This record gives sequence, structure tokens and C-alpha cells, in this order.
Amino acid sequence: MKIAEIILAEISKSHRHNFHNRMVYFSLLIWPALLFVTAYYSFKPFNLESSSPVFDHIQTDSLILFLLTGYLGYIFFWSLVQSAWQMAHERQSGTLEIVFLSPVSRYTLMFGRAAGNLIEAVWMFTAFAVIAMASVAGIESIAWWNVPIAFFILAFSAIIWGGFLNIVFLFSRDAGILFTVLEEPMQFFSGVRIPVLALPLWGKTIAYMFPLTYVLDIMRELLLEGASVVQLGTSLGLLGVVLLVLCSASFFILRRAEQHARTTGNMVLF
Amino acid sequence: MIEAINVSKHYTLKEKKRWFRSEKKTIEAVKELNLSINKGEIIGLLGLNGAGKTTTIKMLSTLLKPSSGTITVDGVDIETNPMEVKRKVNMIAGGERMLYWRLTGYENLIYFGKLYGLAGDVLRNRCQSLLENMGLGEAAHIPVERYSKGMKQRLQIARGLINDPTYLFLDEPTLGLDAPVAKHLRKSVKELAHQQGKGILLTSHYLEEVEELCDKVYIIDKGIMVLEDTPKNIIETFVKEFRVTVEVQNASTEQIHSVQRRIHEKGASFVSTEAAGGFVFEVISPFDATPLAASVCFELGLDIQRLETKKPKLEDAIIQMSEGLSA
Repeated sequence: MKIAEIILAEISKSHRHNFHNRMVYFSLLIWPALLFVTAYYSFKPFNLESSSPVFDHIQTDSLILFLLTGYLGYIFFWSLVQSAWQMAHERQSGTLEIVFLSPVSRYTLMFGRAAGNLIEAVWMFTAFAVIAMASVAGIESIAWWNVPIAFFILAFSAIIWGGFLNIVFLFSRDAGILFTVLEEPMQFFSGVRIPVLALPLWGKTIAYMFPLTYVLDIMRELLLEGASVVQLGTSLGLLGVVLLVLCSASFFILRRAEQHARTTGNMVLF
Repeated sequence: MIEAINVSKHYTLKEKKRWFRSEKKTIEAVKELNLSINKGEIIGLLGLNGAGKTTTIKMLSTLLKPSSGTITVDGVDIETNPMEVKRKVNMIAGGERMLYWRLTGYENLIYFGKLYGLAGDVLRNRCQSLLENMGLGEAAHIPVERYSKGMKQRLQIARGLINDPTYLFLDEPTLGLDAPVAKHLRKSVKELAHQQGKGILLTSHYLEEVEELCDKVYIIDKGIMVLEDTPKNIIETFVKEFRVTVEVQNASTEQIHSVQRRIHEKGASFVSTEAAGGFVFEVISPFDATPLAASVCFELGLDIQRLETKKPKLEDAIIQMSEGLSA
């Protein structure tokens, strides 16, 4: 069974099912753009000069780029929390059971679903962020040659994250709590709008529990500092370990989730 | 052939007692069930609500794991090779769930088809042909949320056939459908079994439907198989009462006594009541007394206005049987 076919099937289904009217463009563009603008203007009243504790980590003139990259990464990861949450709807409508009646590879489906939803959910804000970066900060402020690598790392990591969340939501009908846990805390601790290094030790500890933290570190190094992949070897290695842990957990939980569902019949309970 | 041998399923439920305290309770949904379904055969699975019908279907279709026993599909064990089994089976349930309502009928089939590894022209042609066969050709590109209940049910059947399964499980497929739509579905089910050679397991609360369609019926009660036979044999086993009603014109008292005597001689009971312009005889017997009643009336020169035989139905047999079980 080809993974591309499953991804296409998920994109098509997701487009018709979740992105069926124009109001959805609000959540695809206006909402993330508002998040970014709100974050930017909430910094404005404060002193961001050299005496500010944040100054050590963000230069005032690169604040916009810092926030744009932060929110770009956040939207990739957050959109997949939302799409995993749809699993609850699939339980209610009985389609989840029918999907699991088929012989489709469960891993292909879970990660394919994440990939399909990601493409649908982020293209508009991505376009906005890239245009905003170019027009606000100037083309010379960005290491454009690193853009494809940065997007690949972001998208790949987000898909692993999304597949993992799909599987967690598959395991438990009460996983909706993650929706709350991952919204504001992920935004705050992962360095979306405040540099992780500016956080106290306990904050840093929480920060590095979110894969997005590692991705944003790498993205900013690639795009804003123009670092090469070789220079980022350690960071990439760390991200690799985190993704490997997520993949291993996904494989373990998925196997357990299906066995659990087959034993208890809970796939139709909601 | 699908073969279930000594299959049992129990669930462990937690019953809340107090805060942070719960008690485990085991529910035996199915107990040591033995069942077989051949290709081209329609099998009925009957039982009251909670008898274990849906649990059985879900075990046969790999969605539930049996607590004990073995299930094989064409010799393949569903536990050791579930993916191979999934390619050969499909399930259709009554109601309006199990479809993506915002997608069109065609898009639903395309999506589910891809989950079975179908692609390209093969998939497109199969979707189109299934929609046509189910009478949904014109509604193919309309979102499912605008379909009527009957249309959704027909789309469910098309969805259940997307992988051209060898075995099909139908769980209350005509639930809540109008009579003409249900009739059309019954015709489709017959064709699937008898023309396309699919093995079908059907659960239904409509016993006339089961009687009309099924070659063999399994009856389960509280998870235990209580009977396995053809509908005809089940009726003959449990229903010992045939009713024949004869309406005659202008019968004399002597003629009525003669009819009564001859009916009694054959071991049947006889009741005569006066009706407008004649008499109504009711003959109740453990056999079909229609020829007897007709010949007696004919020999005595009675003018038969109406002759009606109430043949026992599967429903009568199930009622008789359930009364026996509960006694």
C-alpha cells in the first residue's frame, strides 16, 4: 500500500471534511496572524534595549523575525494537535472503526493523516510568514538558501509529532486534555515568543519536553543566523533523538491501542 | 468458509463504587459459540437485544479479539493473519453512521477504496458501478449529509462492497428503512449471495426478512447458541399450530356437525361461529389442515366463500422458543 496514496486520500478527505467553507480561512490565516501581531505588540510597550533581560537573546531589530519563525513553527505543531483531536469525532461517527476494519497499515494511516492535515492547515500561514519575512525584515535578513532545509526539518518533525498525537488520541477517548495542555504551555515554553534561554531552569526543563523547542532552535539558526547543517550537528542530533523517542512511543502505543480496542471494544465508545 | 470454534468473549467492566473505588465485573457476551458461513450462503444470527449478535459480528470481522476459541476465514486464522482476513471481509451496520457526511457518496467510496489499496481507474470504475447498482448514480456527487436515510444506508452497502469482500456481515441493515427501500436491499442481498457467491451473515430484528433471506439461522440467547437450523425446520420444530379459516354460506346444523366430527377424527379442533350470511369454521391443528377442511366442505356440498390458511412464521417459532427458554 503506497504511503503517497494514503496521504493523498487524507488530504482530499480532510479538505472536504474539515476545510469545507470559507470561514476556515480565518483559522488558517487570520487567527495565526493575529497571534503573531498580538505577541509583537505585547512586546512593544516594554524596554527591549540592551538593559532588558530579553536583549541577550533577541536583538530588537530581529524581534519580528524571531516571532514569525516562532509562530510558523507553532502553527505547524498546533494544527496537528487540532487534527488529532478530530479523532474523537471519528469515534462518534463510527468511521474510525470502519477505517480499522480495513487492512491499511496503521502507521501509514496515522502519519499519512498527519501529513495530509499539515499540508491543508499550514500552507496559507506559511505563505504569509514567508512574505512577511521578506517584506518586513528585508530579503538580506534571511538565509534564503536554508529555507528548504528549514521547512523540511519543520514539516518532518511536525508529521512525526502529529502521527504521535493521532495515536495518543486513538488510545484514549479522554485525550482531549492534551488540547489544553498543548495550547498555551507549548506556545509559552517552546520559545515561540520568548527565548527558551531567558526562562529559569525549571522553565527550560519543561521547554525541552516539547519537540517544537528543538525545531525552533534549529530553524532560527538556519534562517536567521545562516548556520549550515554541519554546524547544527549537535542540535540536529538532539532533535533526531527526540523524534526517535516519539516514533518508538508511537509504534508501542499504536500496537497497544489497537489491542486494547480489540479487547475492550472501546473504539466505538465516546 | 468462515468457521468459529468455541468462541467466547468476555468484557471486564469497572463499576464505580465511591471516589477512587471501583469493582471489576466480568460480562460474558458470547460463550463457546460454534458457527460456520459458506460462500454463497446467507446466515441469520438472531437473538434479543444484548444476546451477543454485534459482538459476534465484530469478532468475525477482526474488530474484537475473542477471549478464547478460534476463528478462521478460508483457513486463515484471524489472530495470526488479521490483515489477510480484513481483505476478505467487510461489515455494514444499520443507521446513518460510519460515513463522512461532508463528503459526497463518490468521495466516501474513493477514500475507503484507497484504504484497501485500490487506485486509479479500477477504483473509479468500482465506485461508479457500486453507486449505480445501489441507485445512487445521480446522487454520487452530492454530500452525504443531504442524503435521505435510505440513501445513506444504500451508500453503506456500497461502502461495504468496495473491497469486493468474499464475506459480508450485515448488522441490522434495514433498520428504520421504508418498506420499498428495505425490499430493494433484500433483493440486493440475495443477489450478492446467490449470484456473486458471497457468504453473508445477517442480523435483523425483522424476522420476516430473516425467513425470506436466510438459508440457515443461528439463535443466540445471552451469548449462548441455543439453536442452529434452517428457518423451515425451526418453524416445524417449535410451531405446532396451523390455523385454517373457512367461510361457508347456508350450512345446516347437520352439515356443521358432520364437518366437526370429521375434523375431530383427524385430531384437529373445530370452532364454528355464525357470520353474516353464513358460518365461519376455524380449524386448529398440529398439521396443515387446509386440504382436509377443503375436502370435507366440498364433499358435504358446502359453498366455500373464503378459505384462508395462516402458515406459522419464523416469528411464531421464535416467540414459542423464547417462551420455552424463559419458562
